[in-house]
Formats: sequence, structure tokens, C-alpha cells
Amino acid sequence: MATHPGEHHHPTPLQYVKIAILLAVLTIIEVALFYVNEAADMGGWDAPLLIILALFKFVIVVGWYMHLRFEDSTLSKFFTAGFILALILYAIVLLAFGVIALGS
Amino acid sequence: MTATAERRPATTIFRRPRSTTGFWAWITTADHKKIGIMYGYASFVFFLVGGLEALLLRIQLSSADNTFLTAAEYNAAFTMHGTTMVFLFVMPISAAFINYLLPLMIGARDVAFPRMNALSWWIFLFAGIFLYSVLIFSDPAAPAGVEGVSGNLDPADNTVLGGMPDGGWFGYQPNAGPFYSPGTAMDYWALGVQFLGLASLISSVNFIVTIFNMRALGMRLLRMPVFVWMSLVVALLLLFSLPIIAIALFMVTFDRQFGSLFFVAEAGGDPILWQHLFWLFGHPEVYILILPAMGIVSEVLPVFSKKPLFGYAAVVFAGAAIAFLGFGVWAHHMFASGISPVAQAAFGLSTMTIAVPTGVKIFNWMGTMWGGRLKFTTPMLFAIGFVAMFVIGGLSGVTHAVVPSDWQQTDTYYIVAHFHYVLFGGSVFGIFAGLYYWFPKMTGRLLNERLGKLNFWTMFTGFNLTFAPMHWLGLQGMVRRTAYYPPEAGFDFWNLVATVGSFIIAAGVLIFMFNWWRSKKHGDPSGIDPWDARTVEWTTPNPTPEYNFGVAPTVTSLDDFWYKKYEEDSEGRPVRRPEAEETLTDMMETGTNPPHPIHLPAPSYYPILLAAGIPLVGWGIIYHTSLVGKLLILIGVLVVASASFGWSMEPLEEPHDEHDHSESSGDGYSLPEVDA
Amino acid sequence: MEAAAAMDHHDQHESTGIDHRKLGMWVFLSSEFLFFGALITNYLLYQGQPGFARPYPAEIYDIPFTSFSSFALLMSSLTMVLAHNALARHDQHATRTWLLATAMLGSVFLGGQVFEFTEFVTVGGMKLTTNPAASAFYLLTGFHGFHVLLGVLMLLTLYGISRRQGELSEASGLNLELVGLYWHFVDIIWIVIFTVVYLLAGVPAGVG
Repeated sequence: MATHPGEHHHPTPLQYVKIAILLAVLTIIEVALFYVNEAADMGGWDAPLLIILALFKFVIVVGWYMHLRFEDSTLSKFFTAGFILALILYAIVLLAFGVIALGS
Repeated sequence: MTATAERRPATTIFRRPRSTTGFWAWITTADHKKIGIMYGYASFVFFLVGGLEALLLRIQLSSADNTFLTAAEYNAAFTMHGTTMVFLFVMPISAAFINYLLPLMIGARDVAFPRMNALSWWIFLFAGIFLYSVLIFSDPAAPAGVEGVSGNLDPADNTVLGGMPDGGWFGYQPNAGPFYSPGTAMDYWALGVQFLGLASLISSVNFIVTIFNMRALGMRLLRMPVFVWMSLVVALLLLFSLPIIAIALFMVTFDRQFGSLFFVAEAGGDPILWQHLFWLFGHPEVYILILPAMGIVSEVLPVFSKKPLFGYAAVVFAGAAIAFLGFGVWAHHMFASGISPVAQAAFGLSTMTIAVPTGVKIFNWMGTMWGGRLKFTTPMLFAIGFVAMFVIGGLSGVTHAVVPSDWQQTDTYYIVAHFHYVLFGGSVFGIFAGLYYWFPKMTGRLLNERLGKLNFWTMFTGFNLTFAPMHWLGLQGMVRRTAYYPPEAGFDFWNLVATVGSFIIAAGVLIFMFNWWRSKKHGDPSGIDPWDARTVEWTTPNPTPEYNFGVAPTVTSLDDFWYKKYEEDSEGRPVRRPEAEETLTDMMETGTNPPHPIHLPAPSYYPILLAAGIPLVGWGIIYHTSLVGKLLILIGVLVVASASFGWSMEPLEEPHDEHDHSESSGDGYSLPEVDA
Repeated sequence: MEAAAAMDHHDQHESTGIDHRKLGMWVFLSSEFLFFGALITNYLLYQGQPGFARPYPAEIYDIPFTSFSSFALLMSSLTMVLAHNALARHDQHATRTWLLATAMLGSVFLGGQVFEFTEFVTVGGMKLTTNPAASAFYLLTGFHGFHVLLGVLMLLTLYGISRRQGELSEASGLNLELVGLYWHFVDIIWIVIFTVVYLLAGVPAGVG
């Protein structure tokens, strides 16, 4: 009755390994960026770059390893809702505390 | 064992429970109706406890400088009154309604995860008992593990009542932290509310999956009864707000037990963070308290107006909008906490906005009654009472959105008046409407109408006598959470009126209990459709059979049951179909004698066992510096782990291929077979 | 015949076509964002506040070491997904191997965390009670570690069932998928924590 996991258009083991290599490379870039910033201050550019890299890894794991891009949209709606809601609510809290600031 | 290892559970701790009646049937049940009934009775007991605490408060305040309670006892009484009414009465009785009705209303046999459902219920019950175990185990010693705290500030405060949690249901920090609330009382509060949240989180996942996945054929989302919609919205609110309070409560527990410094201002901790986290949860929470009642009223009003709900889609979308906006207004509880002017303006604005969808609903309910053939039964009276009282509470609520006005009202009895108009005049009246309306589903009998009307008018009068004067007292400057007021303040008269009112409410509740007790045995038989109802839950006999429906229903429209009984004449008026009686007789027949055998989720010991481990861990944490505490943690974890393991090895139902169809009993209904 | 009989028995169906448990797991995971979000928010609030007793967490991080244990957790997502894939191909032996590998990598991460905490307390002198930033650090990484621990236990349970029964049945196959979802989720949370809490950590001006 239950559909076999991994039967429709799911990546092959080889593709999974390639994805892992990509994740590894991204992690190496992250750590490298950290040390570059330690050695020579990047003038605040390290933060957006590191966040973009982390998001990239996040999306890859969710989309391929968790198969979300092959699943019914109900699941991704829930997942995105939780993620976005958390992002907005806690951003407002941090704004209220002045930890993050709009503008300037 | 080895020969059939592929099919059989590898390991079992218990044999499958066999009882289908009696004590063990209730202990091991996975039936959503039994669980709903247990939720209902337990939460009503807590309602009585919370009500007694309220009466103590009212006696204390009945005259100036009264000495009936000490200040410590007063603090404990209002803390436990709030905590009990919110977490142990309104939330679980809403869970009782949702449990009992949700599967029936969408035409399902049970919820998606029946054993998880039982788990939620047992965790709730044990958490409630854990919270009140503070009465026995209260310890004036400092919270374990925090240096620099020595015992209760005043040993005289450590009476039975004064030993209860006393930091308010909102647990503001650092007042509720280790230095200003020494003793173990607030630890019981933090962990008790934590466990209650866990129970609700499990329920919310369960209800969401049930609604998404288990609707009857043809029951599209926009054909679901409004009560189901409101249950969905509540489940979503719980899902996304409970994790926040869970973290906040963990922080309190760590501060008090392990010496972390989250809210310790002297060490740099920020008590405002608590307020943000608490109200991030706390404001969705107030919609969690009111939306089930709104759902109940949206079912009751159309039935007794003989009209469809006016603007069904608008009510549904207004509910969804309330849920969405409900996450964006939390800081209006903090206007007096020194948040920035920009934040005050933004949250003031969002608070005014949320009044719009609420107002939409009010007009929908009035539109439903307008021009209807109204029948003033008891459920209808409570529903109308709900609408009227909720309008008053809603309007006073909007006045808090105006920041300067809010500064004037904050921490006065005006606030107390406001939220009792929405929570008592709103939620509780809605709940009573539901109790009268669906009592026949549970018992097959009707509650007595004469007593019911007496019940309503007593409660309605008592309620307004109690809470209307609080508006005036508040605007005159009477502050809340204070045990005394001076004689020269001139608050005596209206406080006395409020106290008299509270005893009239208590009389109303006693009438209700008498009515319930009497009607359960001697009430008029209800038949299948006592109210000429509109929704699917009334298409099966009363009391509901264990399998809910003889044949799973198919739905072709909103208010499907109504259109099976009524058609419209040329002028759009409802006319009873000639075959309506026959339809009802058929429903009675298939409901009583299902044509096919039906599988139901089998009972299980594991939910109650798993839940029992949790308070053990709770007690263990509070006394973790002693050997007994360490042992309790260990035992609790072992109980939870072994129950989880046994659970995961136990199939929900017995495997089909071992089920011999020819053996199913003659009436066509068979309980799941027991593992041999 | 099986399916027809089952339908007849249950006359139940999944309106969305998604298995109950799978939908339930995704719904649950969506709420976990709020859970970890609160923990990360605590940390972000306190890490930058001046005037606390020292050390601040960011003063004593060992980035090379944490990068290593983070890498172990990241790669455990690969072994997890390979276990899932092997089961779909009915390769029971490979399934077991990859399950065990995933549990091992998870244990490496946990061991790393135990080592890190011990170092911080004994060498770095940062305890839970040192300052609010330290409290927030330990609560956040501790709760994440607790999630990893639960995941390892579930993986080992699946491995044990597979060893004992000789195979993972179709029903257990879904369990493996659910454990996998949970496991990957714990991993993506760590991806965020590693960047936000470790790599982007700052100390307030005047400290360090």
C-alpha cells in the first residue's frame, strides 16, 4: 500500500555522494572565510557571505536529502511556514532589543 | 516466537490489553470519544478547583483591608486560579470537544494517531496532578543548586495555600526567579506548565494530520464545519507558539535549579526577554482559548436559527486571519515595559487590526440570527450570551490598543474585567453552549431544559454582577494582584457587589452539575437528531457507537445532513423533504448494525505508562541535589524509554492477514483481536 | 486483493495522499524551528552584551575542532540518505551498514560536544553559571546535542530490529524514512548554529 520510499525521480547514490562533496566544499569555504576575516577584516562582508553559504547548505539538505522538492506541496508549505514565522518573530524580538537594526 | 519473527513484534513488554469495558478499558483506551470524555471530566474538576480559588480571592476583596487571606495566600490563589483556568480548564475542555467531535464531524473513525491521543491525555492529567502536588510537597528551602538563596523570605508565608506557586500565571521574571520566589513552588509551576505544553503539542500535530488526512469522501476543506476549522486554527497556533514557551520555561527551570543567569538582572540577564517569549506564546494562547468556543457558537447559532451560517467563508477566513495576526500583537502586553516608541506604535496598530476579523465574525453571527426562526433552547441562550458578552470584552480590548489609554489601564481591574468578559463571557459561555448541545451525543439523553435555563440566567446574572463593576473599579485606579485596598479609596461597594456576583456564578455551576448528574440517568431520550442539526456528527445514533459510523459517510455539500432533510421551495425557504424521516431511520439502522466488519485501533498500556514517567522526571529535577531526586530522574527516564520502546514494537492494529473474516461476530462489528 | 480488503475494512484514506506519520513528522519539524529559533535568539541577545563576567563563549571557541565535528554531522546526512536508498533497493545488508555508520558519525559529533563542554569548563573557565551568554550557549548546544542523542538512539533501535529480524519490513521502512527526516533536520539546525553561533560569533567592544 505504502509507496516505496525513493522510487520516483529520487537521486541515485552517486548523486547523493556528489551532493555531499558539494556540501563539504561549501563547509571548507565557510571555515576559510572565517580565517580570512580573522586575518584581514572584511569590513562586515563576512556575515552576509557566511549566511548565504549556510542557507545554500540548508536548502540542499532539505531539498535533496530530505526529498522535500520531490514531495507533495503540503509538506513544503508547513516547513516553510515554520521557518519563515520563526525568522520574522525572532527578528522582531532582536530588533526590539537593538541587537539587529534597520538601516544605518 | 522465532518462526513468526517477521510478522510479530520482536519484543513486547505487555500483552495486548483485552478489556473492552470497565476500569482497564478506560486506562488503555485509544478511542477518541472515551479520551474526550475523560478530558471533559478532569478539566471540569479543575474548573471547580480554580473556581474555589476565585471565591477565596473574592472573599478577601469583599471589604477594605480584609484579613481573610494573607498576602502570600492571596498571591498563590490568584496565580493558581489563572494557571488552572487557562491550562487545566479551558484548554483541556476545548481538547475534550475537539477529541470527541473532530473525527465525528469529518466522518472519521478516530484521529490519525489514536495512541498518541491517549498519550496527550495522560500527560495532561499527570501534569495537572504534578502541578497540584505542590500542595503536599511544597518545600520552603531554596531552589536546589542556586547559591546565595536562603529559604523562604518569611516562614509565616509557608501555609498550605501560601506554599503554592505565587508568581502569577505569567511568571514574570525576575519576580518568579530563584531570588524573589524562593522555595520550590515556582519550580512546580514551570515544569507543570512545561508538561501541559508537551501534551498540547502532541495533540496539535495529531489534530492537524487528522484534519488534513482523514476527511470523509467529498469533505473538502471548505465543506468542513466551522468548529473543525477553528480546531485546525487552534492546532496551528499551538504548534507554533508552544515551542517558544517551552524554551522560556526551560530557561526558568535552569535559572532556578542549575544556576544559569538568563533572567538574573544582577548578572546581566534581561527580564524583558521573558516577557517577549512569554507573550509571543501568550497572545496566540488567548486565541487558543477563544477559538474553540467561537467554533461551538458557529455550530449552535445556525441550528437554532434554522438558517445556514451567514458568510461561512468569511467566518473561516476571519478565523485564519486571527491566527495569523495573533502572532503579531504580543507586545501590547508590554506597553508599560519600556519598549521603544516605534514598537509601541507598531503593536498598537496591529492590535487594532486584529479587531477587524473578530468584528467580521460578530456580524456573521448576527447575520445568522437575523430573520431566522429562533428557538431559545439552553445552548442557544449560552451562544447568544457569548456573542453579547464577547462584544463587550472585545470593545474594552480595543481600548488597550491605544497606548496612552493602555498605560492608564495596565495592572488595574479594568484589564481583569476585559479578559474575564472574553474568557468567561466568551470561552466559558461557548463551552457551556457546547456541553448542552452535544450532551446527547455522549449520553443519548437531553439535559433538562428548565434547569438549563435557570443555569444560564444564574450564571449570566452572576457573571455581569461580578465583572461589570471591575471596569469602574479599574478606571478609578484599583490595582490588580493586590490583596488589600484602603477603606478611604471607596472601592468597598462595587467589590462587595462583585463578590456577591461570584457566589451567584457558583450557584449556577452547582445547578449545572445537578442537571448533568440527573439528566445522565433520567434525561429525555434524544433520538438520533434532537436539534434538527446540520452536520455529519448527528447522522449516527446517540450515544455514539464505538465505531462512530456504520458506514463511513460521504459528503456532497456544506451542511450535508441538513440538505438530506430539507430542500428549498421556489422562494428559497427550507421545506422538509418527504423522505426525511426515512433517511433518519436508515441512518439509525446502519449506525446500529454496520453492514461490514470494522477495525478499530486496539487499546494499549503504553500511553499511560510513558506519561507516568514524565512527572517522575519533574519531581526528580526539583529535588535533583538529593539521592531521591537523582533516583526519580533515573526511574522516570527508564519508564519513558521502555514505554517508547514497547510502543514502537506494538502495531496499531493486529495484522489483517491474521484476521479471519468468518469469525467476526454476527452483528458485523468486531473489536480488534487480541494477540494470542 | 490486499488493498481492496484493507479499504473495505477501514473505509479510511489519506485525503492528501501522504502517510499520516510522514505528514505528522513534517508538521512537528516545522514547529521545531520556533524551538531552536528561541534558543538562537537568546544566544544572539546575550553574546553581544558588554559587562558580563568573562569569558564570553566566543573568546574560547576552538573553530578547527568544531569544524571537524560539524563535518562529521554533515556527512552523517549522506550515510543516512544512503541507508534509506539501500532499503528502497531492498539491500538489507547495506541498509544496516549505513545505519550503523550514521549512528557512529552522530556519536562522533556527541563525543566532540562532550569534549568541547569539558574543555570550556575546565580549561576555558566558562560554566553555565558564568554569564548569561554562557548560559545561552550551553542551553542551545545542549538541546541540540539532546536531539542528536535521541536520533542516535532511534538509529540504533532500527539497527537492532534489523539485526534481530534479519530485515527491515515495509512498515519499518517508513520508520527509517521518518528517522531520516528527523536526522537531517537536526543536521540543518546545526548548519545554522555553526554559522550563526560559531563562525559569526562576536564579543562586545572592549572584551577580549
